Amino acid sequence: MQTRKFTQTFLGGLIRNNPTFVLVLGTCPTIAMTTSLFQAFAMGVATTFVLIFSNLFVSLLRNLIPDKVRIPCYIVIISTFVIIVQMVMQRFLPDLYSTMQAFIALIVVNCIILARAESFASCNRPLLSMADGLSMGLGFTCALSLIGIVREFFAGGSFAGMQIPGFPAMGGAGASAFGFIVFGCMMALFNFLVAKVEERRKAAQPLPLAAQAAEVTK
Amino acid sequence: MPKIKSNSALKSILVLAAIALCSGLLLGLFRIITYVDPLTTTYQKFAEDTGASFSQMADEEGAAYGDGEVVYYAVSDDGQWHAFLAEGKGGYGGGVQVYVYIRGGVLEKLVIGDNGETFLSNLEAEGFYDQFIGKEVSSLDVMGADLVSGATKSSTAVRNGVNAAVEYYIEHASGGEA
Repeated sequence: MQTRKFTQTFLGGLIRNNPTFVLVLGTCPTIAMTTSLFQAFAMGVATTFVLIFSNLFVSLLRNLIPDKVRIPCYIVIISTFVIIVQMVMQRFLPDLYSTMQAFIALIVVNCIILARAESFASCNRPLLSMADGLSMGLGFTCALSLIGIVREFFAGGSFAGMQIPGFPAMGGAGASAFGFIVFGCMMALFNFLVAKVEERRKAAQPLPLAAQAAEVTK
Repeated sequence: MPKIKSNSALKSILVLAAIALCSGLLLGLFRIITYVDPLTTTYQKFAEDTGASFSQMADEEGAAYGDGEVVYYAVSDDGQWHAFLAEGKGGYGGGVQVYVYIRGGVLEKLVIGDNGETFLSNLEAEGFYDQFIGKEVSSLDVMGADLVSGATKSSTAVRNGVNAAVEYYIEHASGGEA
């Protein structure tokens, strides 16, 4: 039962409740940081770290935090981990940090993190909350990376910084407007595929006895 | 009734204060672990960007020029590169740091450092840096450079930083080169 709950929570963030393609949360970094695969991936990893640890601490303190000040408390917890990410990146990845600096600081106001703290971590146990943070973070990272691959391919004619021979770069593809178009198309494709899989899964499941009896009567 | 209310308010304040205190302590610990001397980082950055070695800063105090200032200035050990860390004011998210490298009187390289800007990628796409790179410093009109529409504040800050480095070079370091 416990394992099932973990699996459901974990798969939820990746597919059924994917924060980018299904819940449509964190659209600002989705558009701003997906001009290249590397940047998109780094943003996803940073957000995943903050999600896991903010969920853990919100869950650990959930019975202690008064309802009236829960949002300020969550913000303090979230911003602490965002600043830790900033410090670590500045120390060990200075070049990446200088290009992503403004957006890393904006993770504090990323609605995925506050939404998961409020709707999940504040009413679930620490391990399950961490699993939710990890799955949401991975879902966000995968979505950002997919969009990053497409945008980098069109805007720079490259994949992960490696130039693809014979493919010309399209300057305008790096613009935010194109980012929104790619985001919309991928969201539609993702939801279409998920709906198809769900349909097939339901069709493959045997009907309950009552429904079978009704079919026979007809 | 009012006593219960004030107790609950007090509890809220205490919990929030305790969480903020713990956060502060955690951040202090990480600050100690990840701290790097800015001077050392600048030396490393100068060497990395130019491929030359730098062992002494020529100016650690810097100087202000209009809305820009030179934070650090160094000359490479072989005397060829003049490296500046300059900061331009007027950005959307505060100051923008720019590394400016001059060799033989020509502005050879510009690298963006610490900043809080979200539109800096527009500058490269619009060819903003091409107005400075590869140009003779003596004839360079930095403040006359075209700003980038849609990133006006960011380009203003970068321009102010570059201007400070160029002014400093002409005033102190050109030594007849420029």
